[in-house]
Amino acid sequence: MKRKRKEYIVALLFILPSLLGIMFFYIVPYIISFIKSLYASNTFVGFNNYIDLLNNDIFLLALKNTAVFTIIAIPLLMVVSFLIALFLNSFNSISSFFRSSLLIPVVVPVASLICVWQLLFDDYGAVNGLLNSLGLNAVEFFNSEYSMVMIVLIYVWKYCGFCVVLFTAGLANVPQSLYESAKLDGANSFKLITQITIPMITPTTFFVFLMEIIYSFKVFREVFALFGDYPNKNVYFLQNFINNNYYNLNYPRLSSASVILSVFIILLLLAFFIFERKHSVTD
Amino acid sequence: MKIIKPVIKYILLFLIVAVFIFPVVYMIACSFMPQNQVSEMLNFTADKYREINLIPKKVTFEQYYQVFFRRPEYLLKFWNSVIMTVPTVIGQVTISSLAAFAFAKLKFPGRDKLFFVYIILLVLPLQVTLVPNYIVLDSLNLLNSFLAIILPGTFSAFGICLLRQSIIYISDASIEAARIDGAGYFKIFTKIILPQIKSGLITLTLLCFIDNWNVIEQPLIYFDDRGMYPLSIALSDISSTDFGIIFACGVMFMIPPLLIFTYGHKDIDLPFVNADKS
Repeated sequence: MKRKRKEYIVALLFILPSLLGIMFFYIVPYIISFIKSLYASNTFVGFNNYIDLLNNDIFLLALKNTAVFTIIAIPLLMVVSFLIALFLNSFNSISSFFRSSLLIPVVVPVASLICVWQLLFDDYGAVNGLLNSLGLNAVEFFNSEYSMVMIVLIYVWKYCGFCVVLFTAGLANVPQSLYESAKLDGANSFKLITQITIPMITPTTFFVFLMEIIYSFKVFREVFALFGDYPNKNVYFLQNFINNNYYNLNYPRLSSASVILSVFIILLLLAFFIFERKHSVTD
Repeated sequence: MKIIKPVIKYILLFLIVAVFIFPVVYMIACSFMPQNQVSEMLNFTADKYREINLIPKKVTFEQYYQVFFRRPEYLLKFWNSVIMTVPTVIGQVTISSLAAFAFAKLKFPGRDKLFFVYIILLVLPLQVTLVPNYIVLDSLNLLNSFLAIILPGTFSAFGICLLRQSIIYISDASIEAARIDGAGYFKIFTKIILPQIKSGLITLTLLCFIDNWNVIEQPLIYFDDRGMYPLSIALSDISSTDFGIIFACGVMFMIPPLLIFTYGHKDIDLPFVNADKS
Protein backbone atom coordinates (compact mmCIF):
# COMPACT_ATOMS: atom_id res chain seq x y z
CA MET A 1 0.00 0.00 0.00
CA LYS A 2 2.78 2.36 0.95
CA ARG A 3 4.72 1.51 -2.17
CA LYS A 4 1.72 2.10 -4.36
CA ARG A 5 1.28 5.58 -2.99
CA LYS A 6 4.95 6.33 -3.43
CA GLU A 7 4.83 5.13 -7.03
CA TYR A 8 1.84 7.36 -7.66
CA ILE A 9 3.68 10.42 -6.39
CA VAL A 10 6.85 9.58 -8.31
CA ALA A 11 4.88 9.05 -11.51
CA LEU A 12 3.25 12.41 -11.05
CA LEU A 13 6.65 14.06 -10.62
CA PHE A 14 7.95 12.46 -13.82
CA ILE A 15 4.93 13.59 -15.79
CA LEU A 16 4.59 16.99 -14.19
CA PRO A 17 6.82 19.03 -16.55
CA SER A 18 5.06 17.67 -19.60
CA LEU A 19 1.62 17.89 -18.03
CA LEU A 20 2.06 21.53 -17.02
CA GLY A 21 3.25 22.41 -20.52
CA ILE A 22 0.44 20.55 -22.22
CA MET A 23 -2.16 22.10 -19.92
CA PHE A 24 -0.76 25.55 -20.40
CA PHE A 25 -0.07 25.52 -24.12
CA TYR A 26 -2.67 23.14 -25.44
CA ILE A 27 -5.58 22.05 -23.27
CA VAL A 28 -6.58 25.27 -21.51
CA PRO A 29 -6.09 27.42 -24.63
CA TYR A 30 -8.07 24.88 -26.55
CA ILE A 31 -11.01 25.28 -24.19
CA ILE A 32 -10.66 29.07 -24.42
CA SER A 33 -10.71 28.91 -28.18
CA PHE A 34 -13.80 26.69 -28.17
CA ILE A 35 -15.56 29.22 -25.92
CA LYS A 36 -14.46 32.05 -28.20
CA SER A 37 -15.95 30.25 -31.15
CA LEU A 38 -19.37 30.62 -29.50
CA TYR A 39 -19.08 34.40 -29.24
CA ALA A 40 -19.09 37.23 -31.76
CA SER A 41 -17.69 40.50 -30.44
CA ASN A 42 -18.47 39.60 -26.81
CA THR A 43 -22.06 38.50 -27.26
CA PHE A 44 -23.01 34.87 -27.04
CA VAL A 45 -24.21 33.65 -30.40
CA GLY A 46 -24.20 29.89 -29.90
CA PHE A 47 -23.30 28.04 -33.05
CA ASN A 48 -23.84 30.99 -35.37
CA ASN A 49 -20.15 31.28 -36.18
CA TYR A 50 -20.20 27.69 -37.35
CA ILE A 51 -23.26 28.30 -39.50
CA ASP A 52 -21.59 31.37 -41.02
CA LEU A 53 -18.50 29.36 -41.71
CA LEU A 54 -20.42 26.55 -43.36
CA ASN A 55 -22.01 29.14 -45.64
CA ASN A 56 -18.64 30.62 -46.52
CA ASP A 57 -17.70 29.54 -50.03
CA ILE A 58 -13.96 29.87 -49.47
CA PHE A 59 -14.15 27.72 -46.36
CA LEU A 60 -16.18 25.09 -48.17
CA LEU A 61 -13.65 25.06 -50.99
CA ALA A 62 -10.83 24.61 -48.50
CA LEU A 63 -12.73 21.84 -46.73
CA LYS A 64 -13.43 20.08 -50.02
CA ASN A 65 -9.80 20.26 -51.14
CA THR A 66 -8.56 18.97 -47.80
CA ALA A 67 -11.00 16.07 -47.94
CA VAL A 68 -10.07 15.22 -51.54
CA PHE A 69 -6.39 15.30 -50.68
CA THR A 70 -6.85 13.08 -47.62
CA ILE A 71 -9.00 10.54 -49.46
CA ILE A 72 -6.59 10.23 -52.38
CA ALA A 73 -3.18 10.68 -50.80
CA ILE A 74 -3.42 8.58 -47.62
CA PRO A 75 -4.54 5.27 -49.21
CA LEU A 76 -2.19 5.83 -52.14
CA LEU A 77 0.80 6.35 -49.87
CA MET A 78 -0.23 3.31 -47.80
CA VAL A 79 -0.43 1.01 -50.85
CA VAL A 80 2.74 2.29 -52.54
CA SER A 81 4.85 2.02 -49.41
CA PHE A 82 3.44 -1.41 -48.53
CA LEU A 83 4.31 -2.71 -52.01
CA ILE A 84 7.84 -1.29 -51.85
CA ALA A 85 8.26 -2.82 -48.38
CA LEU A 86 7.17 -6.23 -49.72
CA PHE A 87 9.59 -5.79 -52.62
CA LEU A 88 12.52 -4.92 -50.35
CA ASN A 89 11.58 -7.80 -48.08
CA SER A 90 11.97 -10.24 -50.98
CA PHE A 91 15.73 -9.62 -51.01
CA ASN A 92 17.73 -11.88 -48.75
CA SER A 93 19.98 -9.11 -47.59
CA ILE A 94 20.00 -5.50 -48.56
CA SER A 95 22.74 -2.97 -48.12
CA SER A 96 22.00 -0.23 -45.64
CA PHE A 97 22.70 2.29 -48.40
CA PHE A 98 19.36 1.44 -50.00
CA ARG A 99 17.43 1.67 -46.77
CA SER A 100 19.01 4.99 -45.87
CA SER A 101 18.39 6.46 -49.27
CA LEU A 102 14.67 5.84 -48.75
CA LEU A 103 14.75 8.20 -45.78
CA ILE A 104 16.50 11.00 -47.62
CA PRO A 105 13.26 12.73 -48.71
CA VAL A 106 12.02 13.02 -45.10
CA VAL A 107 15.35 14.38 -43.98
CA VAL A 108 15.81 17.00 -46.66
CA PRO A 109 14.05 20.24 -45.72
CA VAL A 110 10.99 21.31 -47.69
CA ALA A 111 12.47 24.66 -48.60
CA SER A 112 15.62 23.19 -50.10
CA LEU A 113 13.80 21.48 -52.90
CA ILE A 114 11.48 24.19 -54.19
CA CYS A 115 13.66 24.91 -57.19
CA VAL A 116 13.81 21.26 -58.13
CA TRP A 117 10.02 20.98 -58.09
CA GLN A 118 9.73 24.12 -60.18
CA LEU A 119 12.17 22.78 -62.74
CA LEU A 120 10.28 19.50 -62.90
CA PHE A 121 6.70 20.74 -62.91
CA ASP A 122 6.91 24.10 -64.67
CA ASP A 123 4.84 24.59 -67.85
CA TYR A 124 8.05 24.00 -69.75
CA GLY A 125 9.58 21.81 -67.09
CA ALA A 126 11.09 18.39 -67.42
CA VAL A 127 7.84 16.48 -66.82
CA ASN A 128 6.06 18.41 -69.56
CA GLY A 129 9.07 17.89 -71.80
CA LEU A 130 8.69 14.17 -71.25
CA LEU A 131 4.94 14.28 -71.91
CA ASN A 132 5.62 16.28 -75.05
CA SER A 133 8.15 13.83 -76.41
CA LEU A 134 5.64 11.03 -75.77
CA GLY A 135 3.19 12.97 -77.91
CA LEU A 136 0.88 13.93 -75.02
CA ASN A 137 -0.52 17.34 -74.19
CA ALA A 138 1.40 19.53 -71.76
CA VAL A 139 -0.11 20.03 -68.31
CA GLU A 140 -0.22 23.26 -66.30
CA PHE A 141 0.86 21.91 -62.92
CA PHE A 142 0.87 25.30 -61.27
CA ASN A 143 -2.49 26.52 -62.43
CA SER A 144 -5.04 23.77 -63.00
CA GLU A 145 -6.54 20.75 -61.31
CA TYR A 146 -3.17 19.09 -61.83
CA SER A 147 -1.82 21.18 -58.94
CA MET A 148 -3.49 18.65 -56.68
CA VAL A 149 -1.80 15.80 -58.57
CA MET A 150 1.55 17.51 -58.09
CA ILE A 151 1.00 17.99 -54.35
CA VAL A 152 -0.10 14.35 -53.95
CA LEU A 153 2.99 13.19 -55.85
CA ILE A 154 5.30 15.30 -53.69
CA TYR A 155 3.57 14.04 -50.52
CA VAL A 156 3.92 10.41 -51.56
CA TRP A 157 7.54 10.90 -52.61
CA LYS A 158 8.43 12.61 -49.36
CA TYR A 159 6.89 10.24 -46.82
CA CYS A 160 6.96 6.97 -48.75
CA GLY A 161 10.44 6.03 -47.57
CA PHE A 162 9.57 6.57 -43.93
CA CYS A 163 6.44 4.43 -44.24
CA VAL A 164 8.45 1.74 -46.03
CA VAL A 165 10.86 1.62 -43.10
CA LEU A 166 7.94 1.26 -40.67
CA PHE A 167 6.38 -1.47 -42.81
CA THR A 168 9.62 -3.44 -43.20
CA ALA A 169 10.02 -3.32 -39.43
CA GLY A 170 6.49 -4.72 -39.12
CA LEU A 171 7.12 -7.41 -41.75
CA ALA A 172 10.26 -8.52 -39.91
CA ASN A 173 8.10 -9.34 -36.89
CA VAL A 174 5.78 -11.77 -38.66
CA PRO A 175 6.85 -15.29 -37.63
CA GLN A 176 8.23 -17.27 -40.59
CA SER A 177 6.57 -20.46 -39.34
CA LEU A 178 3.15 -19.06 -40.31
CA TYR A 179 4.22 -18.77 -43.93
CA GLU A 180 5.76 -22.21 -43.97
CA SER A 181 2.70 -23.97 -42.64
CA ALA A 182 0.45 -22.04 -45.05
CA LYS A 183 2.72 -23.03 -47.94
CA LEU A 184 2.35 -26.68 -46.90
CA ASP A 185 -1.40 -26.18 -47.16
CA GLY A 186 -0.83 -25.06 -50.75
CA ALA A 187 -1.47 -21.33 -50.42
CA ASN A 188 -0.11 -19.18 -53.26
CA SER A 189 1.86 -16.01 -52.63
CA PHE A 190 -1.14 -13.71 -53.14
CA LYS A 191 -3.01 -15.66 -50.46
CA LEU A 192 0.00 -15.53 -48.17
CA ILE A 193 -0.05 -11.74 -48.35
CA THR A 194 -3.79 -11.24 -47.92
CA GLN A 195 -4.35 -13.98 -45.33
CA ILE A 196 -1.19 -13.73 -43.25
CA THR A 197 0.87 -10.61 -43.87
CA ILE A 198 -1.87 -8.00 -43.86
CA PRO A 199 -3.69 -9.24 -40.73
CA MET A 200 -0.40 -9.80 -38.87
CA ILE A 201 0.90 -6.28 -39.44
CA THR A 202 -2.30 -4.47 -38.41
CA PRO A 203 -0.58 -2.67 -35.48
CA THR A 204 2.07 -1.37 -37.88
CA THR A 205 -0.58 -0.34 -40.38
CA PHE A 206 -2.33 1.61 -37.68
CA PHE A 207 0.87 3.39 -36.71
CA VAL A 208 1.62 4.17 -40.36
CA PHE A 209 -1.89 5.53 -40.75
CA LEU A 210 -1.41 7.78 -37.72
CA MET A 211 1.86 9.11 -39.08
CA GLU A 212 0.30 9.64 -42.50
CA ILE A 213 -2.49 11.76 -41.03
CA ILE A 214 0.00 13.82 -39.06
CA TYR A 215 2.16 14.32 -42.12
CA SER A 216 -0.75 14.99 -44.45
CA PHE A 217 -1.38 18.21 -42.56
CA LYS A 218 2.23 19.19 -42.99
CA VAL A 219 1.85 19.18 -46.75
CA PHE A 220 0.79 22.78 -46.24
CA ARG A 221 4.49 23.55 -46.04
CA GLU A 222 4.99 22.41 -49.62
CA VAL A 223 1.90 24.28 -50.73
CA PHE A 224 3.14 27.43 -49.08
CA ALA A 225 6.65 27.06 -50.44
CA LEU A 226 5.41 26.51 -53.99
CA PHE A 227 2.39 28.81 -54.15
CA GLY A 228 2.70 31.38 -51.34
CA ASP A 229 -0.31 32.58 -49.33
CA TYR A 230 -2.87 32.30 -52.08
CA PRO A 231 -2.53 29.11 -54.12
CA ASN A 232 -4.95 28.43 -56.96
CA LYS A 233 -8.37 27.12 -56.00
CA ASN A 234 -7.45 23.49 -56.54
CA VAL A 235 -4.95 23.38 -53.71
CA TYR A 236 -6.43 25.94 -51.33
CA PHE A 237 -6.45 23.86 -48.13
CA LEU A 238 -7.96 24.47 -44.70
CA GLN A 239 -4.51 25.37 -43.44
CA ASN A 240 -4.33 28.18 -46.02
CA PHE A 241 -7.72 29.37 -44.86
CA ILE A 242 -6.71 29.41 -41.20
CA ASN A 243 -3.32 30.98 -41.94
CA ASN A 244 -4.83 33.74 -44.03
CA ASN A 245 -7.37 34.55 -41.35
CA TYR A 246 -4.57 35.26 -38.91
CA TYR A 247 -3.73 38.34 -40.85
CA ASN A 248 -7.05 39.91 -39.92
CA LEU A 249 -7.20 38.13 -36.54
CA ASN A 250 -10.76 37.03 -36.89
CA TYR A 251 -10.87 35.00 -33.63
CA PRO A 252 -14.40 33.60 -33.87
CA ARG A 253 -13.84 32.44 -37.40
CA LEU A 254 -10.39 31.04 -36.62
CA SER A 255 -11.54 29.11 -33.59
CA SER A 256 -14.62 27.66 -35.22
CA ALA A 257 -12.56 26.64 -38.26
CA SER A 258 -10.09 24.83 -36.04
CA VAL A 259 -12.86 23.10 -34.09
CA ILE A 260 -14.33 21.86 -37.36
CA LEU A 261 -10.91 20.66 -38.53
CA SER A 262 -10.41 18.77 -35.24
CA VAL A 263 -13.79 17.10 -35.50
CA PHE A 264 -12.90 16.08 -39.07
CA ILE A 265 -9.71 14.40 -37.85
CA ILE A 266 -11.22 12.72 -34.81
CA LEU A 267 -13.93 11.26 -37.07
CA LEU A 268 -11.24 9.99 -39.43
CA LEU A 269 -9.45 8.31 -36.52
CA LEU A 270 -12.66 6.77 -35.21
CA ALA A 271 -13.51 5.44 -38.67
CA PHE A 272 -10.14 3.75 -38.83
CA PHE A 273 -10.50 2.30 -35.31
CA ILE A 274 -13.86 0.77 -36.24
CA PHE A 275 -12.51 -0.50 -39.55
CA GLU A 276 -9.52 -2.06 -37.82
CA ARG A 277 -11.68 -3.77 -35.20
CA LYS A 278 -14.03 -5.25 -37.80
CA HIS A 279 -11.10 -6.39 -39.87
CA SER A 280 -9.35 -8.20 -37.05
CA VAL A 281 -12.59 -9.92 -35.91
CA THR A 282 -13.19 -11.57 -39.28
CA ASP A 283 -9.67 -12.92 -39.35
CA MET B 1 15.83 -17.77 -66.59
CA LYS B 2 17.32 -18.03 -63.14
CA ILE B 3 19.63 -15.08 -63.72
CA ILE B 4 17.09 -12.80 -65.36
CA LYS B 5 14.77 -12.51 -62.35
CA PRO B 6 17.35 -11.15 -59.88
CA VAL B 7 18.66 -8.78 -62.55
CA ILE B 8 15.21 -7.31 -63.08
CA LYS B 9 14.77 -7.03 -59.34
CA TYR B 10 18.03 -5.14 -58.96
CA ILE B 11 17.20 -2.81 -61.84
CA LEU B 12 13.86 -2.07 -60.17
CA LEU B 13 15.63 -1.47 -56.86
CA PHE B 14 18.02 1.00 -58.43
CA LEU B 15 15.12 2.79 -60.13
CA ILE B 16 13.28 3.17 -56.82
CA VAL B 17 16.39 4.45 -55.09
CA ALA B 18 17.07 6.85 -57.97
CA VAL B 19 13.59 8.36 -57.64
CA PHE B 20 14.19 8.95 -53.94
CA ILE B 21 17.61 10.53 -54.13
CA PHE B 22 17.36 12.29 -57.48
CA PRO B 23 16.15 15.73 -56.29
CA VAL B 24 18.91 15.87 -53.69
CA VAL B 25 21.63 14.92 -56.14
CA TYR B 26 20.22 17.49 -58.52
CA MET B 27 20.35 20.22 -55.86
CA ILE B 28 23.95 19.47 -55.06
CA ALA B 29 24.97 19.35 -58.72
CA CYS B 30 23.28 22.69 -59.40
CA SER B 31 24.95 24.34 -56.43
CA PHE B 32 28.31 24.00 -58.21
CA MET B 33 27.09 25.55 -61.43
CA PRO B 34 28.13 29.05 -62.50
CA GLN B 35 25.47 31.75 -62.15
CA ASN B 36 24.68 32.16 -65.82
CA GLN B 37 23.91 28.46 -66.16
CA VAL B 38 21.56 28.59 -63.18
CA SER B 39 19.70 31.67 -64.36
CA GLU B 40 19.38 30.17 -67.82
CA MET B 41 17.96 27.03 -66.24
CA LEU B 42 15.53 28.92 -64.02
CA ASN B 43 14.40 31.29 -66.76
CA PHE B 44 10.79 30.22 -66.86
CA THR B 45 9.83 32.60 -69.64
CA ALA B 46 11.86 30.95 -72.40
CA ASP B 47 9.50 28.96 -74.56
CA LYS B 48 11.39 25.72 -74.70
CA TYR B 49 11.37 22.57 -72.66
CA ARG B 50 13.96 22.34 -69.98
CA GLU B 51 16.46 19.55 -69.91
CA ILE B 52 17.62 17.92 -66.74
CA ASN B 53 21.24 18.83 -66.61
CA LEU B 54 23.31 17.31 -63.88
CA ILE B 55 26.73 18.37 -65.09
CA PRO B 56 27.90 21.92 -64.40
CA LYS B 57 29.43 23.70 -67.39
CA LYS B 58 32.23 24.63 -65.09
CA VAL B 59 32.58 23.51 -61.47
CA THR B 60 32.64 26.63 -59.33
CA PHE B 61 32.22 27.61 -55.70
CA GLU B 62 30.85 30.99 -56.71
CA GLN B 63 27.43 30.35 -55.17
CA TYR B 64 28.91 29.29 -51.84
CA TYR B 65 31.25 32.27 -51.90
CA GLN B 66 28.25 34.58 -52.41
CA VAL B 67 26.27 33.00 -49.55
CA PHE B 68 29.06 32.96 -47.03
CA PHE B 69 30.90 36.21 -47.75
CA ARG B 70 28.60 38.50 -49.69
CA ARG B 71 25.10 37.86 -48.38
CA PRO B 72 25.29 37.67 -44.58
CA GLU B 73 21.49 37.90 -44.26
CA TYR B 74 21.19 34.25 -45.22
CA LEU B 75 23.67 33.20 -42.58
CA LEU B 76 21.61 35.21 -40.06
CA LYS B 77 18.45 33.36 -41.11
CA PHE B 78 20.35 30.10 -40.79
CA TRP B 79 21.28 31.14 -37.27
CA ASN B 80 17.61 31.97 -36.56
CA SER B 81 16.74 28.41 -37.56
CA VAL B 82 19.38 27.08 -35.17
CA ILE B 83 18.14 29.19 -32.25
CA MET B 84 14.61 27.94 -32.74
CA THR B 85 15.43 24.30 -33.34
CA VAL B 86 18.16 23.27 -30.92
CA PRO B 87 16.46 24.29 -27.63
CA THR B 88 13.19 22.77 -28.80
CA VAL B 89 14.85 19.44 -29.55
CA ILE B 90 16.74 19.34 -26.25
CA GLY B 91 13.63 20.32 -24.32
CA GLN B 92 11.38 17.88 -26.05
CA VAL B 93 13.73 14.92 -25.71
CA THR B 94 14.27 15.58 -21.98
CA ILE B 95 10.65 16.18 -21.04
CA SER B 96 9.34 13.38 -23.23
CA SER B 97 11.71 10.76 -21.87
CA LEU B 98 10.70 11.60 -18.29
CA ALA B 99 6.99 11.43 -19.02
CA ALA B 100 7.31 8.40 -21.30
CA PHE B 101 8.95 6.46 -18.45
CA ALA B 102 5.99 7.19 -16.18
CA PHE B 103 3.46 6.26 -18.85
CA ALA B 104 5.25 3.03 -19.73
CA LYS B 105 6.44 1.66 -16.40
CA LEU B 106 4.73 3.30 -13.42
CA LYS B 107 1.17 2.67 -12.34
CA PHE B 108 -1.09 5.50 -11.36
CA PRO B 109 -4.83 6.12 -11.57
CA GLY B 110 -6.08 7.63 -14.81
CA ARG B 111 -2.92 6.72 -16.68
CA ASP B 112 -4.54 5.31 -19.80
CA LYS B 113 -7.14 8.07 -20.02
CA LEU B 114 -4.44 10.71 -19.78
CA PHE B 115 -2.43 8.97 -22.44
CA PHE B 116 -5.44 8.95 -24.73
CA VAL B 117 -5.61 12.74 -24.37
CA TYR B 118 -1.97 12.87 -25.47
CA ILE B 119 -2.74 10.79 -28.56
CA ILE B 120 -5.55 13.13 -29.56
CA LEU B 121 -3.22 16.12 -29.09
CA LEU B 122 -0.65 14.32 -31.21
CA VAL B 123 -2.97 13.86 -34.12
CA LEU B 124 -4.44 17.35 -34.16
CA PRO B 125 -2.69 19.36 -36.87
CA LEU B 126 -0.61 22.39 -36.22
CA GLN B 127 -3.21 24.76 -37.63
CA VAL B 128 -5.66 23.71 -34.94
CA THR B 129 -3.26 24.22 -32.09
CA LEU B 130 -1.96 27.47 -33.55
CA VAL B 131 -5.12 29.33 -32.58
CA PRO B 132 -5.06 28.34 -28.90
CA ASN B 133 -1.30 28.83 -28.79
CA TYR B 134 -1.61 32.29 -30.24
CA ILE B 135 -4.10 33.29 -27.55
CA VAL B 136 -1.77 32.15 -24.75
CA LEU B 137 1.37 33.63 -26.25
CA ASP B 138 -0.42 36.89 -26.83
CA SER B 139 -1.48 37.13 -23.19
CA LEU B 140 2.05 36.23 -22.02
CA ASN B 141 3.57 38.88 -24.29
CA LEU B 142 5.71 36.22 -25.92
CA LEU B 143 4.77 37.00 -29.52
CA ASN B 144 7.72 38.32 -31.49
CA SER B 145 10.12 36.30 -29.37
CA PHE B 146 11.82 33.02 -30.25
CA LEU B 147 10.25 31.52 -27.12
CA ALA B 148 6.93 31.63 -28.98
CA ILE B 149 8.22 28.80 -31.16
CA ILE B 150 10.40 27.02 -28.61
CA LEU B 151 7.93 26.62 -25.72
CA PRO B 152 4.95 25.05 -27.51
CA GLY B 153 7.33 22.89 -29.55
CA THR B 154 8.98 21.57 -26.41
CA PHE B 155 5.70 20.21 -25.09
CA SER B 156 4.67 18.34 -28.21
CA ALA B 157 3.07 14.97 -27.45
CA PHE B 158 4.94 13.26 -30.27
CA GLY B 159 8.07 12.42 -28.26
CA ILE B 160 6.09 10.88 -25.44
CA CYS B 161 4.20 8.54 -27.74
CA LEU B 162 7.37 7.50 -29.56
CA LEU B 163 9.51 6.90 -26.46
CA ARG B 164 6.73 5.13 -24.59
CA GLN B 165 6.79 2.52 -27.36
CA SER B 166 10.50 1.89 -26.79
CA ILE B 167 10.31 1.83 -22.99
CA ILE B 168 7.32 -0.47 -22.75
CA TYR B 169 9.35 -3.41 -24.08
CA ILE B 170 12.11 -3.14 -21.51
CA SER B 171 11.62 -6.09 -19.18
CA ASP B 172 10.07 -5.41 -15.80
CA ALA B 173 12.48 -7.89 -14.23
CA SER B 174 15.49 -5.61 -14.65
CA ILE B 175 13.61 -2.73 -13.06
CA GLU B 176 12.43 -4.93 -10.19
CA ALA B 177 15.97 -6.20 -9.62
CA ALA B 178 17.31 -2.68 -9.42
CA ARG B 179 14.58 -1.77 -6.95
CA ILE B 180 15.48 -4.67 -4.71
CA ASP B 181 19.07 -3.43 -4.77
CA GLY B 182 17.72 -0.20 -3.35
CA ALA B 183 17.83 2.01 -6.45
CA GLY B 184 15.44 4.96 -6.44
CA TYR B 185 13.11 5.70 -9.32
CA PHE B 186 15.33 8.41 -10.73
CA LYS B 187 18.33 6.11 -10.63
CA ILE B 188 16.33 3.40 -12.41
CA PHE B 189 15.46 5.97 -15.06
CA THR B 190 19.04 7.13 -15.68
CA LYS B 191 20.84 3.79 -15.23
CA ILE B 192 18.43 1.29 -16.73
CA ILE B 193 15.90 3.00 -18.95
CA LEU B 194 17.98 5.65 -20.74
CA PRO B 195 20.81 3.36 -21.91
CA GLN B 196 18.28 0.92 -23.36
CA ILE B 197 16.31 3.45 -25.38
CA LYS B 198 19.28 4.99 -27.12
CA SER B 199 17.88 4.22 -30.57
CA GLY B 200 14.52 5.70 -29.60
CA LEU B 201 16.20 8.88 -28.38
CA ILE B 202 18.19 9.21 -31.60
CA THR B 203 15.10 8.66 -33.72
CA LEU B 204 13.19 11.25 -31.73
CA THR B 205 16.06 13.74 -31.99
CA LEU B 206 16.17 13.31 -35.74
CA LEU B 207 12.41 13.52 -36.34
CA CYS B 208 11.98 16.40 -33.92
CA PHE B 209 14.89 18.28 -35.45
CA ILE B 210 13.54 17.87 -38.98
CA ASP B 211 10.11 18.95 -37.89
CA ASN B 212 11.29 22.15 -36.22
CA TRP B 213 13.93 22.86 -38.83
CA ASN B 214 11.15 23.04 -41.42
CA VAL B 215 9.01 25.38 -39.36
CA ILE B 216 7.02 27.72 -41.59
CA GLU B 217 3.62 28.45 -40.11
CA GLN B 218 4.46 29.74 -36.64
CA PRO B 219 7.03 32.44 -37.54
CA LEU B 220 4.70 33.77 -40.24
CA ILE B 221 2.00 34.25 -37.66
CA TYR B 222 3.91 35.07 -34.48
CA PHE B 223 6.65 37.37 -35.79
CA ASP B 224 6.15 40.85 -37.19
CA ASP B 225 9.86 41.34 -37.79
CA ARG B 226 10.84 39.57 -40.98
CA GLY B 227 14.43 39.58 -39.77
CA MET B 228 13.46 36.85 -37.30
CA TYR B 229 12.20 34.49 -39.99
CA PRO B 230 14.13 31.23 -40.26
CA LEU B 231 15.82 30.10 -43.45
CA SER B 232 12.91 27.79 -44.28
CA ILE B 233 10.73 30.82 -45.01
CA ALA B 234 13.50 32.88 -46.59
CA LEU B 235 14.22 30.10 -49.07
CA SER B 236 10.68 30.13 -50.39
CA ASP B 237 10.95 33.91 -50.85
CA ILE B 238 14.20 33.99 -52.76
CA SER B 239 13.22 31.41 -55.34
CA SER B 240 12.09 34.10 -57.78
CA THR B 241 14.72 36.76 -57.17
CA ASP B 242 18.12 35.43 -56.24
CA PHE B 243 19.04 32.89 -58.89
CA GLY B 244 22.69 33.04 -58.09
CA ILE B 245 22.64 31.54 -54.63
CA ILE B 246 19.46 29.57 -54.38
CA PHE B 247 20.96 26.11 -54.74
CA ALA B 248 23.87 26.80 -52.44
CA CYS B 249 21.42 28.10 -49.80
CA GLY B 250 19.30 25.00 -50.21
CA VAL B 251 22.30 22.73 -49.77
CA MET B 252 23.46 24.69 -46.71
CA PHE B 253 20.00 24.30 -45.23
CA MET B 254 19.93 20.51 -45.67
CA ILE B 255 23.35 19.87 -44.18
CA PRO B 256 22.43 19.82 -40.43
CA PRO B 257 19.57 17.31 -40.74
CA LEU B 258 21.69 15.17 -43.08
CA LEU B 259 24.52 15.17 -40.52
CA ILE B 260 22.22 13.96 -37.74
CA PHE B 261 20.80 11.42 -40.14
CA THR B 262 24.19 9.98 -41.12
CA TYR B 263 24.99 9.65 -37.43
CA GLY B 264 21.73 7.94 -36.52
CA HIS B 265 20.36 6.19 -39.59
CA LYS B 266 21.20 2.71 -38.31
CA ASP B 267 18.99 3.22 -35.27
CA ILE B 268 16.01 4.77 -36.89
CA ASP B 269 13.79 1.72 -37.27
CA LEU B 270 14.73 -0.10 -34.09
CA PRO B 271 12.05 1.45 -31.87
CA PHE B 272 9.42 0.35 -34.35
CA VAL B 273 10.71 -3.20 -34.58
CA ASN B 274 10.40 -3.59 -30.83
CA ALA B 275 7.05 -1.89 -30.88
CA ASP B 276 5.30 -4.73 -32.65
CA LYS B 277 6.70 -7.72 -30.85
CA SER B 278 3.88 -7.87 -28.32
